[in-house]
Amino acid sequence: MSIMKMDKNQHDLVLLPRLFNKVALGILILSILFATLAILSIINIDMAVMKTIVATGILVSLLIFALTKDKVEDELLLRIRLKAFAGSFIFGVLYVLIDPFINLLFDHDFSSDLGLTRILITMFLFYFMSFYSMKKKR
Amino acid sequence: MKNSIKIQRVIKDLTQEDLANKIGVSRQTINSIENNRYIPSTALALKISAIFDKNVNELFELEKDD
Repeated sequence: MSIMKMDKNQHDLVLLPRLFNKVALGILILSILFATLAILSIINIDMAVMKTIVATGILVSLLIFALTKDKVEDELLLRIRLKAFAGSFIFGVLYVLIDPFINLLFDHDFSSDLGLTRILITMFLFYFMSFYSMKKKR
Repeated sequence: MKNSIKIQRVIKDLTQEDLANKIGVSRQTINSIENNRYIPSTALALKISAIFDKNVNELFELEKDD
């Protein structure tokens, strides 16, 4: 087996072509536009349905952004990407664990009312912050 | 681990960008390797050594605390 093939097998992480950055941006803009139109009552839609549609749009766009290739996708960037994914997972778990204590501190209620969408969006934001920060420092 | 990539690169009159393009990585990756912030994979080390016509052992050297 050639070095190139072994290298590819060991470092393979299926990522989307760079064109998908534009697709993700389009979905994000449409979601924000849809939310704005619904809030301004230009579109008549149930608020719960609107929130679900907008949250789905934001999550899909963030997922596509996270899984789209960089200009030069090499082994160092892959390592940074995986570190950022692992970090965001740990952050998500800690966020869920700490949330009841924060509620206890401010609302005197030891419970957690975190929605799945909120957790996932926070995890994605943590992922992007750590990914770009590590990428800048490499 | 220390390496002599920067010296070899200067001898060959290559910029970080030139070397990066030859082996298909980013310029920042070459910079990280030269400054010992990143240890490349065996495959990447072999590709670099092929550019400089050297053995990997001649380019990379273990330090006492490695």
